[in-house]
This record gives sequence, structure tokens and C-alpha cells, in this order.
Amino acid sequence: MLDIENLRVEYISASARHLAVDDISLSVKDGEFFTLLGPSGCGKTTTLRCIAGLETPQGGRISIDGNPVFDATSGKAMPTQKRDISMVFQSYAIWPNMSVAENVGFPLEVKGMRRAERRRIVDRTLEMVGLTSQADRPATMLSGGQQQRVALARAVIKEAKVLLLDEPLSNLDAKLREQMRAELRDLQRNVGTTSIYVTHDQDEALSLSDRIAVMHGGKVIEVGTPHDLYLKPRNLFTAQFIGEAQLFPCRPLERVGDGFLVETSFGKILAKVNTDLGGEATHVFVRPEHTEFVDPSSNACNVLSGRIVSTVFSGKHVEYDVETTCNQRLSVSASSANLRTPGDEVSLRLPPDNAVLLAGTA
Amino acid sequence: MQTATLQGRSFAFEKWLPSLLMLGLLAYLVLVPLVILLVSSVKPTGMPLDPGWTLDHFAETYSDPAFYRMAGTTFIFAIGSAMGALTIGILMAWLVERTDLPARGFVRVMILLPMATPPVLLAIAWVMLASPRTGFFNEILSPLMGEGRHLFDIFSMQGMIFVESLSLAPTTFLILSPAFRNMDPNLEEAARTSGAGIFTMIRRVMLPVLFPSLLAATGLLLMFGLLVFDIPGTLGMPVGIFVLSSQIVYLVNDAPGGLAEYGPISAMAVFFLVILLMITWGYRRATRNASRYVTMTGKSFRIRPYKLRRWKAPAVTFVSLYFFFATIAPIAILIWTSLMPYQAGVSLDMIPKMTMANHMAFFANSRAMSAAQNSVIIGGLAATIVALLSVLVSWLVIRSKAPGRNLIDLLSFLPLAIPGTMIGVALTYVYLTLGSLPIYGTIWIIVIAYVTTYIAFGTRTTHNVMLQLSPELEEASRASGAGWFRTMRRVVVPLTLPAIVAVWIWVVSHCLRELSSALLLQGFDNKTVPVLLWGYWTGGEPNKASAVGLWLILAMIILVSAWQILSARGRLVGVKA
Ligand SMILES: Nc1ncnc2c1ncn2[C@@H]1O[C@H](COP(=O)(O)OP(=O)(O)OP(=O)(O)O)[C@@H](O)[C@H]1O
Ligand SMILES: [Mg+2]
Repeated sequence: MLDIENLRVEYISASARHLAVDDISLSVKDGEFFTLLGPSGCGKTTTLRCIAGLETPQGGRISIDGNPVFDATSGKAMPTQKRDISMVFQSYAIWPNMSVAENVGFPLEVKGMRRAERRRIVDRTLEMVGLTSQADRPATMLSGGQQQRVALARAVIKEAKVLLLDEPLSNLDAKLREQMRAELRDLQRNVGTTSIYVTHDQDEALSLSDRIAVMHGGKVIEVGTPHDLYLKPRNLFTAQFIGEAQLFPCRPLERVGDGFLVETSFGKILAKVNTDLGGEATHVFVRPEHTEFVDPSSNACNVLSGRIVSTVFSGKHVEYDVETTCNQRLSVSASSANLRTPGDEVSLRLPPDNAVLLAGTA
Repeated sequence: MQTATLQGRSFAFEKWLPSLLMLGLLAYLVLVPLVILLVSSVKPTGMPLDPGWTLDHFAETYSDPAFYRMAGTTFIFAIGSAMGALTIGILMAWLVERTDLPARGFVRVMILLPMATPPVLLAIAWVMLASPRTGFFNEILSPLMGEGRHLFDIFSMQGMIFVESLSLAPTTFLILSPAFRNMDPNLEEAARTSGAGIFTMIRRVMLPVLFPSLLAATGLLLMFGLLVFDIPGTLGMPVGIFVLSSQIVYLVNDAPGGLAEYGPISAMAVFFLVILLMITWGYRRATRNASRYVTMTGKSFRIRPYKLRRWKAPAVTFVSLYFFFATIAPIAILIWTSLMPYQAGVSLDMIPKMTMANHMAFFANSRAMSAAQNSVIIGGLAATIVALLSVLVSWLVIRSKAPGRNLIDLLSFLPLAIPGTMIGVALTYVYLTLGSLPIYGTIWIIVIAYVTTYIAFGTRTTHNVMLQLSPELEEASRASGAGWFRTMRRVVVPLTLPAIVAVWIWVVSHCLRELSSALLLQGFDNKTVPVLLWGYWTGGEPNKASAVGLWLILAMIILVSAWQILSARGRLVGVKA
């Protein structure tokens, strides 16, 4: 559906050249909700703007639904307005000189649709985003969440092949963001457009996306489903950026059944994720919420004993800082049903099914 | 589908076309007159297409001590009036923005009146008020002075500087008051809590913060001082005090040999052009970073006005005196004179002789009416062209990534450095030599002169607005499928409309009062109201001149008020008069 090959964007300022997008290739399938996730300044917006044609890359090719829209070698670029895309901007970009209905109906106006028919479709779209009663108000008098919906309706009404969204929820407060997140997902499911979503918020990415591309320093580090990226990341950066992960350096020992045994500073650990790395593994990690407290008498593998140093209570969960007998600090996230206090002696189990091997330099 | 070819033009061409069109237009408006001016300075006859080359004009001009006297006079006048206007403007801006001066809002509105008074009328009024023999102030003070002596002589360098300062003060006020307003009071308070006295505070805290705005204002005032014709033309020329502009007008219209001496005029102009370009360059550097210093934190703060206490009375006196000298007295004397059948001093004896004849004559006179019509048409056309051109230039410079946009910016700014008299002379060359475009002596040549002159102001204003307009608003339109033209029509123009209208009104009001270009470009049927007024005045008909002037002031007041209201709505800062 959307294919990006070897995209490269360079900003040349007075002092230096800066590669904002460094050789990115992506392939997004029809109807997919695809997210670009990465820390601030990693080139997400730049990539999105290249797809929209608002930025001219120095290298690469982009095609939408099989139609090339940009090709650096021939130096041809299709102007934004001719591309089969629509876009929701971070600032919403609601035109203050138009009413809500005029804003939403603008893409239809551009297509030359007659006023009466336009109004019918606008009303239907506004109903979809729950703004029917606001149709004829000036767009500037809306609240943040309402403006967000106008921007969304305006993008959806164009019925473009690809919907581009640049951090559309980042200007909303936490409660509203949760609510809009669900609405956005429903809307996308109903409309079924291919969507490219940009965010630096991992929760948002995980809960919305079909697939996520993790970006860092202008490069795509890893592409995968939320499930895979969380449970079996292949890359050290992904492991740390999505969810929490304390990486322990390790030395690979031997394959044991369907797992692989590695040596760490606090003993031998059996890991069952990414065992194909085998002898190349350099790090191992288990997420704090996967680490379990067990009975000290248990003689299962991957059990460590230690003492709770500190706790942080946050309602749903309690974060424990545990010091093992060989002076290794581990964090554990457990349910608040069963409270422990600093000083308690505990035994921890790092479940082999959730112990992930990684190769690379941290 | 992988074989489908990419539709769409190569971006090199698309990029260059708009820039080239705009550069061509601006070059025609700005560079052609300048180049022709330069060429004519090295032509024996002073006409750019005539044969031969010579440096005689330069040799003659620059070896003549009279030239250096004139240059000196021009600089003294420019520096003196810049200092005068700065003193008045700074004090007024501080009093209005930062102190508990009574009726501050009223002062802000009243400042429009001197702006609405064309400088030539201010000068004429001051002749009536303070000419050595018949001036009103001199007459009422004569019992104190004794026979044959007088207190004021407006026909002098001091007089010129005084009137010019009065006329430039509102500009200074408008440039500086946003800077004073936006200055974070915490800075002042921090300085005072650390034990600094008021002078230390001014020197260490206020001056550095205001410095860029002050520099910008000074640059602009110096430029105006070097360019202006109206006031030195009215007050200096009759007694032989010549500055550059009046010298040019004199050499064109009243040359001793009867024929305009274009060669020496151009040679002279080149010298000033270089100086003005240098000031312009400095001004640009000063204003480029201006916004960085002015503390616009976005967090709102309430200004605690400085308490004037025992200085309140002197402050009120100062402000009242300014308005008395800059508007009340001049307009009063113009009204009086316009009601007189012949030139007469203010006295009770004359009251029975009051007549509306001069006003009636203005409306009955077909020449006067055609001048009014010319002024309106010229103003409307020039303003419309400037407004549209400014939006396009700003869009190209601020918004687009068009190549050559810095050059476009520079070209649109350059006219600020070109005196109206020089544009007048240069356009005379252009259209006398370019026989193919027979617009010499028509209103069109004046329209072109005004578009060139005011494009610099127009683009500065639209630049500001364009900077405030988020680029995403336009991008959203393009992403909705709208092309360039529709994006301009539905998004950019409606959102910049208040500023566009403000520019339009400003240009109309300046076209209505502009004298020097119009004077030099006047032909058979393109007289404007200021030219007519100037004709009455120099032809010894002050009563008619006053009547025409009053109607002009009325039109100006309406326009200037509309401009202010719209500017405030468009949130423009630092606009200049
Ligand atoms: N117009 C520009 N000129 C120069 N550098 C730019 C420009 N736009 C972006 N950059 C640089 O390119 C890099 C990528 O920017 P981009 O806006 O794509 O980041 P981002 O991933 O969207 O970040 P954020 O999450 O903060 O929005 C940044 O380092 C930025 O400084
Ligand atoms: Mg971004």
C-alpha cells in the first residue's frame, strides 16, 4: 500500500549537515494501523511530512498504492494536493476563519462537490465524531478535544488511501487522551483506511497499532507487532524504549532443551526467548512485571534470594527495589494485593519464558 | 503497478518560476530606477540613453564646497530631528506604557492626530504660527520683545528640526511603545530590590532591553530625516537652506539655466544613496534580532505602573505641550486662515470678515476636484497593488522554500533607502527614455512611484503577520487537496486580511499626503491634492492652501483611525508611520 525505500532527508544549516532521516525503508499494508514510535527528534515527523509531500527528501522513493509519488533519482515529486493522503496535524491546524462544517467540508469543496451534497456528508461525518451540534459554530470556539475531532473529521472525509496522523493526541490532557485513543481506534476500524501514526508515547503505540516501527536517530531500528516488540524485542534500544527493561550483560553457556543457559553476575539464567541468538547473546532481561516472588523453598531454576530495599506504591502496582545476595539490584513490579515492606527477605524467580536474550552493545 | 510513472513536474522548475517572476517585477520596480540613476550620473547630458560617458558630473559635484555645505546641512537636519523625535517619543512611550500618567488611553488615541497631519501642512501651519514678522506667536509676544524683534524664526535650521521632530514623534512612539509594554516588570523590580537607584536601573536594565528597538527607531528616523522634502522644502528653501531633497527639487523645477540638470542631480544622489544603503543595512541587522531581546515570555504579567508623584504635573505639561504644538495650534491656525478672505493675523477685528469662500472654492473648482479625484485613484491603485504584492512577497520570503527568497526580501526592502525625490527623478528618466510606455505625465507614473516607495512598508507588516500564521494551516489545506491558489484564497488571505487592509489604508493615507515624487512627476493632468496645495502655498494663496489642507487632514484622520483599529485587531507591533 505504502512503500518507502531508502528515504533520506538531510538538513543543511550554516554550521552543520544533519541527517534527520537516514535511509529508511518501510512497507505498510492495506488497512493497517502503522505507528512510527521513537524519542523526540528521531525523525518521525520528517518521515511523515515526506509521505505527505510537505518535505522534499534528498534520496529514496515513495509510492502510495503502487503509484510513485516521489523519486529522488528522476527528481520528480507529486505535489501534496495531488497525493492520495490526508493528514491530522499536531496543532490540529483548524482554520479560524471557517466554521466547523466549513473546515470539515473543505476537502469536498476542493473536489468541487455541490453544496447540498457536501452538507449531507459533512453532517454524517460530524455525527461520527459526535460534533453534530457544533456544526455551525466558529471553529475557534471549540475545546481542545473538539478541535481534535474536527481535525480528524476533516481528514477522514477526504476518503484518501492513506491517513497520516502526527501526534494527534499530544495536546490533550491525560483523561481525554485515553478516551480519544479508543475513539480513534474505533474510527480507524470503521473507516478502514491505512493509517500512519506518529507518537513518542509507547502506551499509545502499543494500544493502537497493528504494527510499530521503532525509530532512533533517523533510522528504523525494528518493526513488529506490539506483542512481539514488547515480549520479544530483537534490539537493545527497543527493549529499553518500549516498557521497562533492566539489561544484564551475560556470557552464553549452552543450549538446554528449548532454552539457552547464560552466565550473569548473579548466577546462571535460563532464557527461552530469542534462543536463536545462541552463542551471540550479550544481554538478558526480564521485565519487572514478569518477575515473580516465590516461596524460598522452591527449587525451580532462575530463583534468586534477596532483601527489599525500597518500595514505591502507585495504587495498582507496587515497585520494589530488591538487592540479591550477590549485591545485584533488581526491580520488581507486583500487584498491590500483597504488600511487602523494606527489609523483608524474599525469593525472586525470573521466569525462563519471559527471559529475553539480546545481542548488541548497550 | 510498479511500472506506473510518476506524474508531476520536476521540482527544479516549479521552485524557480515564482521566484523569477517576483524577482523580475521587483527588479523592474526597484533596480531599474536605481541603475538608470547611476547610468545618468556618468552621461554628459544626464540622460541615460544619450551617447558618451563622462565623470565630469562627479568631479564637478564633489569638488564644489557648496555640495559639502548641503550635505552637512542635510546631516545636521537629519540627526537633529532624529534626536528631537527620539526624546519626545521615548518620554511619551515610557509615560504612557509604564507610569501612572493620567488619561494614558486618551494619549494613545490622540497620537493619531499628528500622524494624520501631512508634514507639509504642519510646516505651513508653523509658518503662520512663527514666521518672524507675521507669525501668531511672534505677534502676541511682540510687546515683550520690542519693535522689530521677534522671538521665533521658523525659517531656520532650528525651526526645521523643531517641526520635523514634532512630525516624527508619533512614529517613534509607535515603534517604542510595544517594547516598553512587553518589558517584563520583574526585571525592573529585581533591579530595584537589589538596591539599584532609578538611574542605575535605567542604565543597566531598561536600556539593554530597549536597545534593539531604540536602534531600529534611530535608523528609521535618520532615514526619514535624510529623505524628507516637505518640511525643509517649506521652511528652508525660501531662505536658502537646502537639504538633499529640496536641492533636487530645486535643480529639477527651478534650475538656474531653465533646464533640469539631471547629471549633477544623479551624481549628488549617488552619495546619499550609499549612505542610506549603509543605514538600511544597519537597520536590518538591528531589527533582525529585535524580537530576541524584547521579553515576550507569553506568561501574562500585570504592569505595576511607576508612580510619578511630584513629577506628575511636569509630565502632564510635557504631553499637553506636545499635542498643543503638534496638532492643536497648527490646526487652529489653519482653520482661522481658511476662513479669512486674505492673509491676516488672528485678531478680533477680523471675525466679521470670516467667510466660507475658500472651502466653497475648493469644491467648486474643477482643477481642485480633479486633483482630489487623482489622489483617490492613485491612492486606491497603489495601495491595492502594494497590499497584494506584499502578501505575495511575504509568502515567498517567510513561507515558501523558494530559491532567491533572500534577494526578494532585500529588493522589497531597498526602497526604504530611496528618497521620494530620487524615485521621482529616476522614473522621469525611465519613462522619458522608454518611449514605448507613454505614461510620463499621467497618474500611472505616480502609481508606479508609490508602489516602489511603499512596498518596503507593506512587506514589513505582512512579514510580521505571516510569521504569526502557523505553517500547518496552509499545509492542512494542501493535504486536503487544495492547490496553491485555493490555499491562498481560502486560508492565507482571509487570515491575513486585517493586516492587508491595514497596509492598504496606510498606503492610501501616505499617497494622499506624499508631495515630493508627485511634485517631480507632475504633468498636465496628474496633479494630486498635495501638489495643488503646494501650488497654492508657493503661489501666495495661503487661504486656499489652508482650506484644501483641512479637508485633507479630515480624510487622513478617518483613514489613520481605521488603520489603527485594524492594526490592533491584526495584532501588529512596531508598525511605522
Ligand atoms: N526545518 C528543519 N531544519 C533543520 N533541522 C530540522 C528541521 N526539521 C527537523 N529538523 C531536525 O531533524 C530531526 C528530526 O526532526 P523531527 O521533527 O522529524 O523529529 P520528531 O521525531 O518528530 O520529534 P518530536 O517527537 O519531538 O516531534 C531533529 O533533530 C530536528 O532537529
Ligand atoms: Mg514531531
